[in-house]
This record gives sequence, structure tokens and C-alpha cells, in this order.
Amino acid sequence: MKPRKDLLDIESLSVEEIEHVLAQSRPFKDLIRRSVKKVPPLRGRHVLTLFYEPSTRTRSSFEIAAKRLSADVTNFTVSTSSVVKGETIIDTIETLQAMQVDYIIVRHGSSGVPNLIARHSSASVINAGDGNHAHPTQGLLDAFTMKEVCGDFAGRRVVIVGDVLHSRVARSTSTILRKLGAKVGFFGPGPLIPDDRHADIVTFKTFDEVFDWQPEVIYLLRIQMERQKDQYFPSLHEYHRLYGVTGERLKTIRQRGIYIMHPGPVNRGVELVDDVMTYEKTLINQQVENGIAARMAVLHWLQPGTVMREMD
Amino acid sequence: MSTPIFLHQVTVPSQFAPVDVLLEGGRMKFGAPAPAGVRIIIAQGMVLLPGLFDFHAHLREPGREDAESIASGTAAAVQGGFTGLLAMPDTNPPVDNGGMVQSVLDIAAKTSPIPVSVAGCITRRRAGEELAEIGEMHLRGAVMLTDDGDTVINPLLLRSALQYSRDLGILVGAHCDVRELSGSGAMHDGRVSYRLGLPGIHPCAEEIGIARDIRLAHSCRTRIHIKHVTTVRGVETIRRTKREGTRVTAEVTPHHLIFCDTDVGDYDTNFKVKPPLRTDEDRCALLEGVLDGTIDVIATDHCPHTEFEKNRDFASAPFGVTGLETALPALHHYFIRPGLLTWDMLIERMAVTPRRLIGQRPPSVADGAEINAVLFNPAAATKVKRSFVKSRSLNTPFLGRELQGRVEMVMLGDRMLHDASGVE
Repeated sequence: MKPRKDLLDIESLSVEEIEHVLAQSRPFKDLIRRSVKKVPPLRGRHVLTLFYEPSTRTRSSFEIAAKRLSADVTNFTVSTSSVVKGETIIDTIETLQAMQVDYIIVRHGSSGVPNLIARHSSASVINAGDGNHAHPTQGLLDAFTMKEVCGDFAGRRVVIVGDVLHSRVARSTSTILRKLGAKVGFFGPGPLIPDDRHADIVTFKTFDEVFDWQPEVIYLLRIQMERQKDQYFPSLHEYHRLYGVTGERLKTIRQRGIYIMHPGPVNRGVELVDDVMTYEKTLINQQVENGIAARMAVLHWLQPGTVMREMD
Repeated sequence: MSTPIFLHQVTVPSQFAPVDVLLEGGRMKFGAPAPAGVRIIIAQGMVLLPGLFDFHAHLREPGREDAESIASGTAAAVQGGFTGLLAMPDTNPPVDNGGMVQSVLDIAAKTSPIPVSVAGCITRRRAGEELAEIGEMHLRGAVMLTDDGDTVINPLLLRSALQYSRDLGILVGAHCDVRELSGSGAMHDGRVSYRLGLPGIHPCAEEIGIARDIRLAHSCRTRIHIKHVTTVRGVETIRRTKREGTRVTAEVTPHHLIFCDTDVGDYDTNFKVKPPLRTDEDRCALLEGVLDGTIDVIATDHCPHTEFEKNRDFASAPFGVTGLETALPALHHYFIRPGLLTWDMLIERMAVTPRRLIGQRPPSVADGAEINAVLFNPAAATKVKRSFVKSRSLNTPFLGRELQGRVEMVMLGDRMLHDASGVE
């Protein structure tokens, strides 16, 4: 396995690399359940979080992961109002390069920004979500979570439900699961599902079709409220009726023992009814915990400054 | 050209065998012996072409001289084998009145080595709301009307413009796009845009626009020129309506003939163009269109942007690539060399038809003709690097590549505009 400087997406990872990170996540998860949660591998290293989109959960998860590895963490706050369409990204990169940080964890609303930063920086760049493109640590933590409950991936079926088209989570999670041998299907309102000629993925028209496919996992995506304004679907009420986990559907799910996953935060009454949160095969909180372990594994694995990518 | 030039055994596409050509006193003479004191060039294997004309160039002056000027853009054109071009009106301020046409022509007269033709806007400020003074611009010499870069959203307004310009005999060039459909798209809507998570531009946006604009022109009994066609169905619509007798002409760019959406690679903004690079299937349909005459013109859509502007995230970076310097070597490299395109066809699409469409007499390479010619060397290479680029901008998709074939000389009248012989 060659040393890797950046984690930009799942697509460019080999199965060997993915399995390495998943295997490393296990001991880190055991570690964070202990009373003393800190280990020294990143002592003296500096991690900088650079979030152009507001996020509390992901940022905290990375911060906790970095601190448990004994890294120093700085949160570089970018006021979104002062950044007009990414015009100053190159300038920001120069600034960060001068600060000599070792890891840059970036979230940005525009796809490809982490790639741009990685090209111009010797620090390890970890993509914490860019536009609709990728959210690779989410993919890794999802795969890790599924591995914990299912054991293996070969032939397992996962249906991703919701706004797949605009979801970096759907892209990264579907890619990693398929790389590992699972089968993935998409289900959601027509305008929010990619053309299957573009995505090569089986799609469903109704929740009954989803159940007929006999998935082991139903993965619900968070509905962004502004999608409704953009006329992708008529109302949240109708969304819940057609694409949400209703009380009725939860009965079927319970009966069949299907796992429920969700990247959070959930919109109760839209993607799912309250009862889902207490259903014993809901993995949502486990995903959050695993997120820290997977991110520790990623920070531990990447090698800052080892591979400076070609400058154009 | 202080010294006359004698081209020994040069290939002239219209001639059966290589000929000796003497370039002297602004005219060319075929088959004459070399007089004393001439510069003799052993031109075996080289091709003598008429000077090309670029039907679609953005020169950015006035307003964005940091990206290009009329001087730098025409210098780039000359290096690429063009001896004439049509400047688009999307400057700042835009060319939307007679005074602006005059002022661009005046600057060109002072700073350009080649004649610059000027297009004017269809609507004032290119805002798509009210007609620009088409007649005033026409009287000052504008030869095309276009809001290029933007479509005229309001079909009634476009219809008025078509009717009005019809009687003045000025050609309307249409940038076809249904804006509500293309929206904030950054690249072709397809497998690659899905994978990269970039908003897509669906082919329908262009195809519906093409169908609309041709229909409007036909109903006004006038002609229309469709700019930068990129899709299979766009080509099909033009082919069908031509057969039905509409007076439509169309153009394609070298980059749409050469590249696909997969070339965007790792968010390379030098492959971000509008309309976007499409699929291989579309690319093949475009080439077919060039070959069967559905597409009349190959034009660069030379669109300079500064490094700063292009060095951004893909969605924020501006659309467009430069093309004047690379069009001829690239078309040779990808199409003429492998035998997909003939020199005769290229001359027709890049030297003859564009000039005819705006009422200019095309140059010819013939015994006794005035000199307006390009000496092209298929055996040499064009290395596209910083030092090669004459444009003020570097946003060419060929940056860092080597193209087979090189423009050796460009001659206009008794002037030698470009001489790369001896340059490595």
C-alpha cells in the first residue's frame, strides 16, 4: 500500500486501503470506550478544520478524533458571508500553507474544492464534504457500522432513500459499499434520483418495490428543506407519505429485521417517524460513535507532506 | 516582406502535385523559376493554405484587458494561421451601438496586424430586454448580431431582431440555450457530472434553443447562424431543417470536436466551456456534421480568462477556453493526420465559408492571387507552453501538450506576419 497524502473521495481508494481503515477503526473504537481516551500518535502534529459550510456534528467529530490522537486542533472559521463563491480559496490556501499545519479538514459547498486545496498544499487534506461530490469519512464510518452488524458485505443489499442527486453522502456511501461487494439501490422522488444511465444503480419506484428487493439496510438521507422550494417534490407531508419510514412501514421493517441508517441530523416526521429512533435495529447513534473511530483511523493512516501532488 | 519568398515544391491542396510558388509584390506566382536574391524555402511536405478566418473570437477589449486585448488576441490569431476574425460584442461596455462598433474598429486599425470584423449585440447591454440600434451598428460596419454568451430569452424580441436585420442583410448569430434548463449547470449532465457532484447542463437546454431559433428565423424568411453546436440532436435538427429549406448555418468549435466530458478529469477548469463538452457519441456526431456539410464553420470561440479567474473551484470558475493559437495544429493533429478530415474541407470550413457568410471575399491560393496565406508544416510540432502563448490568457486545454504540425509562416499582402522558421 503506497502512502496516501489526502482523502478526497472514496472512488480513488483501493479495496485494500478501505479495508485497512476499517480494520484500524476497530481498535480506536475500543479505545474511546475506555476511561482514558487519548493516545499519542499525532503528538506535535497540527490539525486545522476549515469549514465553509456550517456544521457542528462533523466538525466536532473530527476535532474529537484529532484530540484523542493528541494532535493540536485549530478551527479556522470562515465567515460564509465574506466568501463570495470561493473567490479567495487560493489565497486562503497560501495562508494555510504558510501556517505549516499538517492536516486540513475541509468542508465546502462547491464540489472539488478539497481537490483544489490538495493540489496546492503539502498538508494532508481530508474532505469533510464538498458540494454534491463526496463525504469519504461518512462512507468509511457507514461501511464500518455495516461491517459491525452484518459481518461482511458480499451480496448484502442496501437501499439509499431520499435526495440522492444532491447527496455527497449517497455518492460516497454507495461507492464504498459497492467496492466492498454489497448491492446498492436508490429510492426517492424522481427529480432527486440520478438517471440510472449516469449512476449504474438499480432504482425503485415505490416503497413496496424496495421491500420486494429484500434489503438488509435502509439508509435514509436527510431532506434539505430548500429542495422543496426548488420544486423537486410538492410537500414534506407528501414526501413522508411516499418516501418516509411511516409507522406502517416500520412494522414491516421490524418484522424483517431491516437495519435503519441515517447520516443525521434527522427530520422527525419527514424521513422517519419518532418510533424509528427507539427501534433496536436503528444504527443512527452507532454511526455517530463510529464516526470518531473512523476519523481517528483516517488521521492515523494519512501521511502529510509525503506526496506533494503535481502543481499544474 | 522585403525579400521575395520562393517555396520549393510546396503542397497546395487544390493542386494535383507539389508546385513551386513565388511570393513577390503581394501576389503569388505558380511554377515560375526562382529569381536571384529570393529567400528559398524547401517546402516539400509543407502545405500552403489560404489565411483562416475565425468566426467566433472574444477579444475582451474594451473592459478586460487583463485577460486579452485586440493586440494580443490578434497576435494569437496570427500565430494560429488566422488572417481575419470576427470579434464578439460581449466586451465591457458591450458593443451595442454604432459608436462602440467604430471604437473597436479604430483600436483594431491601430493595433491589429489583421483585419478585425465586428459583431454587435442584438439587445442593449446584452440584457435581452430591448433591441440595440441594429441599423446604426450596421452602418458602422458590424457584420453580425449576437448576444453570444447569452441567449435571447424572449422569443418575441428575437423575432423582431430577425425581421429587422433581415432587411438590412445582417446575419444573426444565435447562442442557443434554454436558461431555465441549463440553470447553474457547470458541465454536461451525465455520468461524469454525477460522479463529480457537479450541477449538469442537460442537452435539452441547447437542443430546444436550436429548434426554437431556427423555427423563428424560418418564419421570418431570413437566415440564422447557430453557434457552437454540441449535441447529437442539435446536429440532427440542423440537418433536418436544412433539408427542409431553412437558411440555417452552424458552427462547431475544435474543443467540442476533440474533447468529451470525461476530459474534465480532476475538476480541470480548462475544460469548463459553455456549451459544455459532451459525450463521445456527441463528439462523433459533430465530426459527421462537419463532413456532410450540416456544420458549415469551425470556429474557435476563443474565450480568454486570467489564471486567477480559472484557478478556482470548478463551479465558480468562468466558462471558456482559448483557441486561436491551437485550432489549426489541433485539427491537424486529431483529424487531418489520421485522415478523418481533408485540407479542402478544413479550408472550406475555416477560410471560405465564414468569410462568405458575412459578405467578404475569401482568399485563395492560386496562380496570380493576392497573398493571404499560411505555410503549415505537418512534420514539425507545436509545443503548447507558456512561452508559446501570445494570448494574455493561458486557459487552453492543450497546455502542456504537443500537437503535431506547426504554423511556419503567415503572409498577408506584402507583409510577413509570422515566421516561425528557425524557431525551435
